[in-house]
Amino acid sequence: MFKDPKRAHALASPYFVWALIFILVPLGMILWYGFTDDAGAVTIRNAAAIAQPEHLKALLLAIELAVISTVICFLLAYPLGMILAKNKMSSQGIITTIFILPMWMNFLLRTFSWMTLLENHGVINGFLEKFHLPTVHVINTPSAIVIGMVYNFLPFMIMPIYNSLAKIDNNVINAARDLGANAVQTFLRVTLPLTVPGIISGVTMVFIPALTTFAISTMLGGSKILLIGNVIEQEFTLTYDWHLGSGLSVVLMIFIVINMIVQALSEKNDEL
Amino acid sequence: MNSKTRTFEKIYMGIIFLFMYAPIVTLIVLSFNKSKSRAKWGGFTFQWYLSLVRDSEVLNALANTLIIALIATVVSTIIGTAASVALMGMKRRTRSLVMGVTNIPMINADIVTGISLMLLFKVLHFEAGFVTVLIAHITFDIPYVMLSVLPRMKTISPSVYEAALDLGAKPLFAFRKTILPDLMPSVISGALMAFTMSIDDFIITYFTKGSGFDTLSTKIYSEVKRGIRPEIYALSAIIFVVVLILLLVSNRIKAGAGKRVKKSLSARGERIKNIALAAGVVAFSALIVVMALVYGGVFSKKSTQVFVYNFGEYIDPDVITMFEEETGIEVVYDEFESNEIMYAKIASDGAAYDVMCPSDYMIAKMISQDMLMKLDKSALPNAVEYIGGQYYNSAKAFDPENEYAVPYCWGTVGILYNKKMVQEPVTSWDILWDDRYSGEILMQDSIRDAFMVALMRRGYSMNSTDPGEINSAAEDLIEQAPLVQAYVIDQVRDKMIGNEAALGVIYSGEAIYTKRENPDLEYVVPDEGSNVWIDGWVISRDAVNVDNALAWIDFMCRPEIALKNFEYITYSTPNIAAQELIEDDDIRNSSVAFPDNETLERCDTFISLGEEADRLYNEAWKRVKSAN
Repeated sequence: MFKDPKRAHALASPYFVWALIFILVPLGMILWYGFTDDAGAVTIRNAAAIAQPEHLKALLLAIELAVISTVICFLLAYPLGMILAKNKMSSQGIITTIFILPMWMNFLLRTFSWMTLLENHGVINGFLEKFHLPTVHVINTPSAIVIGMVYNFLPFMIMPIYNSLAKIDNNVINAARDLGANAVQTFLRVTLPLTVPGIISGVTMVFIPALTTFAISTMLGGSKILLIGNVIEQEFTLTYDWHLGSGLSVVLMIFIVINMIVQALSEKNDEL
Repeated sequence: MNSKTRTFEKIYMGIIFLFMYAPIVTLIVLSFNKSKSRAKWGGFTFQWYLSLVRDSEVLNALANTLIIALIATVVSTIIGTAASVALMGMKRRTRSLVMGVTNIPMINADIVTGISLMLLFKVLHFEAGFVTVLIAHITFDIPYVMLSVLPRMKTISPSVYEAALDLGAKPLFAFRKTILPDLMPSVISGALMAFTMSIDDFIITYFTKGSGFDTLSTKIYSEVKRGIRPEIYALSAIIFVVVLILLLVSNRIKAGAGKRVKKSLSARGERIKNIALAAGVVAFSALIVVMALVYGGVFSKKSTQVFVYNFGEYIDPDVITMFEEETGIEVVYDEFESNEIMYAKIASDGAAYDVMCPSDYMIAKMISQDMLMKLDKSALPNAVEYIGGQYYNSAKAFDPENEYAVPYCWGTVGILYNKKMVQEPVTSWDILWDDRYSGEILMQDSIRDAFMVALMRRGYSMNSTDPGEINSAAEDLIEQAPLVQAYVIDQVRDKMIGNEAALGVIYSGEAIYTKRENPDLEYVVPDEGSNVWIDGWVISRDAVNVDNALAWIDFMCRPEIALKNFEYITYSTPNIAAQELIEDDDIRNSSVAFPDNETLERCDTFISLGEEADRLYNEAWKRVKSAN
């Protein structure tokens, strides 16, 4: 289609210009700030600062919490996706309604609301007390942050997994069963592999925001649990060291590189 | 299917549903809470819904959010759709390269995207505000449109389009008639996704917005640290219900249209669906535009303005309205949580505030860096007449000639404790290191205040610049860290009211309010001494609206205005005439609001410590915060 390349380029040119100025150049700016100091001299000190104990600790903790959150999201979302996909009665409209709707309540408000729910004398403990159950202490602990992450990013896992499950042709499943595979085998060897693209996209959409959040950890961690996102945010808003902040951000850009490699590899597979 | 699995499935979905909606129900309940504190149920009320209509700050933020989201969605949908269509005509290699770039804003951490754009705008000397936020939103919206449109585009066969061309149709006409109808559902779902992401974005907006511009997200974030004003709960409850109705209605229409398609097997159903969707979008857009026209900060700029930057929850909002009505000057009002954050904002070129209200040591720092303007006293008759001489005297510690600042509020820092949880008398900062209260202690999340506690406890000066003293204070704070429940600023209030903690470091001004809400609370200034602070109005050297800024300051010094503010924020006023106007004897004679000389003698004022010491404190603070 549009075999006329001139026309195609003209049509795409607004996007090309936009992407160049507002995606690529700004990334260049981060690299430039990250690898220079106040005097403008080139240095790797800022990026290397990630190895300082307090930065490294924040990074490792962020990775740990992000991995836990991603795994929980996956474990919650996959069965849900299967239930939704199986009962075709639930039209896609209803699904979106249920899981997109909370996003219209501001993300910060929703997270803030967890504070009221989780506090030592909060709503949940209030219920527990009423039924004479032991209360839980979660607020201002890493667990509270994980709850916040799972809550906020779960829809990003459900969507792609549901979509890829819904796309599976029932005949494929039936064929597997006809050929003698039991339910577990069918799941492991047919369903699961067919949803890998959905899983990958879900994992990316959960892991990266979880790794780099600073708002969730501030609100539910009582400002005493520092994640790498908090460290970077403070370099820009508090200590005002833009070079160090950029240097630490460069480390986070590694995920772009990883994604590009994965992308390139899958393109190659397509061509085969 | 057996009924056991069915039941299990229902229960499972129910649990996830509960998880998704529990916080939302909580918010809706809070919107009917009579108490301003989220920690206490004060009875049922509709008052926040009524006061929401008059809350111009919140409505402005809402209008901004909607306008940005709407424009960003339209622009990104056009650019993204055009690019998706065009990409199909390009070589495979080009296409995958372009998709690689397109994926960047989605794969990249929001914080990095936000910072990278902020750096770009700064280098280009773009003034941060509406336009920069809009650009940022378009940038992260485009990928959502393309990722929705492109896969659909791949499935559309070009042959009909080519046939149309062969039959003599112009390319645009042929496109509209053959490809667009097939493409439309994916364009709409891409646009909806973009709109949703734009509405919900916080991080990128946070880094690209400038002074005086807020979306709902950034407005809420600035309020989170001190407790959110109930009007925001009311607003989100309304938004939630409106969107719920819109989605249900559009689902109903879609389902109806879907059935018709099956029946007639014609394109009519599809067309009805599109019309319905379009109608929905148009109606919603109209609503947004009306909102914008009525409340928007974008189109209805008054001719003369003043940009005010103040601590959060540090003024009676009615006072702003009164000032605007009386003078015809539009107030662009922004809030900060700590002096350090304010300083970072002012020191960057982006923020152009006329009049600010920092604390003593920060005023000194700003004077020394030539960031402030000398005040024209002849334009400040109220300030000269009504602010007590003793306060001007105290202010000489940071403003030696009283040239730059007019005192606005003052007070002490002390320990707020819950008498039910702490039986012993509280006399010393030591109690904050007592492991019997592990997990029951709230510390201030601001560098100078936290270090003040540790330094005074050891008998050092709170203005110490000695690396050894700072270091040992830092060691103490690290030792204390495991006992601390949270480092918070104004959240101490709600948490203490809700019995969440036994002890909290707090400003005296909050003590009156918290005691009113929870009679078990008591405030003391420890024997080792503490900080007595003054916050004052200052004018930026780069102020554009100097006359308006002076009018603002003088307005704040009118006795009846100062009284109104005092009654609202309960921070002590240095306005002598206002002090005499206080009707409640208990408060007028309160040792918390107006401490006696004996207490004040134990206290000291912060001074600016210079860059080298600031750096020491910053580094030490980072160590403390990562000690957990």
